[in-house]
Amino acid sequence: METSKNKFTNLDKIFWPAEGYTKGDVINYYNSMYKYIIKYLKGRPQSLFRTPNGIKDKGFFQKDAGEQAPDWVDKYPSWSDSAAKKVNYLLCNNKPSLLYLANLGCIELNPWNSTVAHPDNPDYIIIDIDPSENNTYDQVIETALIVKKILDKGAATCYCKTSGATGMHVFIPLAAKYNYEHARTFAEIIATMVQHELATFTTLERSLSKRGKDHIYIDFLQNKIGSTIACAYSLRPRPGAPVSTPLEWSELKKRLKPEQFNIKNTTKRLEKKGDLFAGVLKKGIDIEKCLKKLSA
Amino acid sequence: MRSIWSGSIGFGLVNIPVKIFSAIHDSTLDLDMLDKRDHSTINYARINSNTGKVVPWANIVKGYKYNDEYVVLTDEDFEKASPEKTKLIEIDEFVKAEEIDSIYYDTPYYLEAAKGGERSYALLLHALKQSGKIAIGTYVMRNKENICALRPYDNMLLLLKMRFAEEIKDYSDLNIPGQGNIKPAELKMALSLINQLTPKKFNFGKYKDTYDAELMKLIKLKAKGSKIPQPRFKIVHNKTKDLMSQLKASLEEKKRKAS
Repeated sequence: METSKNKFTNLDKIFWPAEGYTKGDVINYYNSMYKYIIKYLKGRPQSLFRTPNGIKDKGFFQKDAGEQAPDWVDKYPSWSDSAAKKVNYLLCNNKPSLLYLANLGCIELNPWNSTVAHPDNPDYIIIDIDPSENNTYDQVIETALIVKKILDKGAATCYCKTSGATGMHVFIPLAAKYNYEHARTFAEIIATMVQHELATFTTLERSLSKRGKDHIYIDFLQNKIGSTIACAYSLRPRPGAPVSTPLEWSELKKRLKPEQFNIKNTTKRLEKKGDLFAGVLKKGIDIEKCLKKLSA
Repeated sequence: MRSIWSGSIGFGLVNIPVKIFSAIHDSTLDLDMLDKRDHSTINYARINSNTGKVVPWANIVKGYKYNDEYVVLTDEDFEKASPEKTKLIEIDEFVKAEEIDSIYYDTPYYLEAAKGGERSYALLLHALKQSGKIAIGTYVMRNKENICALRPYDNMLLLLKMRFAEEIKDYSDLNIPGQGNIKPAELKMALSLINQLTPKKFNFGKYKDTYDAELMKLIKLKAKGSKIPQPRFKIVHNKTKDLMSQLKASLEEKKRKAS
């Protein structure tokens, strides 16, 4: 483990009381997952979600690196709408930085959709499938498969991963060819079509109070600068220590449970399956061609 | 397959014994009408329009309204009017297939050579193939005179029940445009579209009646108590269309600025 720069603290602190997993387990997890997860972090400003007291605690968000951040962690100054000021975002460009975040109590990692090389052009579109308490995971899967079917019609590639919580994320590679506005409008088109297909149990209503209590929210609004969701292979501060896990489309079957993929078995799965998400950062789709096919 | 009729084809001096099989099966699902409250089946009743009471089958006859009076027809009358019940498909003449418009073709039937008819069946089939012609014949089935065509289909004889010329409606009261206003350029475009949509080899098998299959799937799922999956998306509704044109315009704008 990289210890030369980091001074790890409270490694025995229990983060998951039911399972007995500790902060040390989190650091170990990210240490062993480094070679896979770094691709999805490098160059991307991080929104920190710190849970230094484990999953029973609410935790807090932090965007600004602050005074304490060591010099050897890269930073990126940028305006934050939510903080309404210029903040120094942390960049996770190497292993010591990753473990630094883990030691801060970041169970979960939330990078931007774009890198500092071209901050206005996201590398991918995210369709966030976010169920209510009353939806089944089978419905989440059904929704993801409709997203896939529609994108198939548009001959656009896409990749899926469990969110690690109750939902699912579908990523559409863009190779930074389009800006956030174009990405978001395209996401809205897809989301609208999906909602139209699954009108009985999906919604595009952002407001929680107006949203049906048994509807899946198809969220296309994550496609804007500074917006973040848990990245591929991120742990989630939830019971069972689940991991946001990329899946093969053929794995999306009834009775799949997101808790199946967790801190205990992810490294083994990766040894077997490899990084199923690699395509997300490769060849981007051609939105215009896709629109043509979709309106055909 | 069960034959629906057996008889023979009269071809010159030979009679070819054959069995007739239906060549098609009805693909629509047999749905029953039910009372939605308890799923009892619905029965039809025959009601006397005068008394409002149910009439038993035994008291029902058929009649034809002639000069405002009903002429009642008995079974005997029907028999008298029927052409002679023969079991013979009499070939009257041979014609080129293109001489008969497809509007006259009705239902297809397969013909099988019955015992003893094999050689003459094969003879007729091959003679038809070689001549490129089809046989026109008449026969009686179910107390009704029929006209039919016999033609080779794969390696067998196919009987095509045909319509009589008087069964085809007159269409002179329909408004059909003449070809006065066709512009050569438009015609050229239409022809090139036709060419574009002409496959090298037509594959009829790709056209499938999917509705019944989908309906059956749904019935099975419902029977199992599963949730019914939603139909596949087809229609892009207006909001999507608006968004699409908005995005297209924006992408084009970007391109123009970049160049």
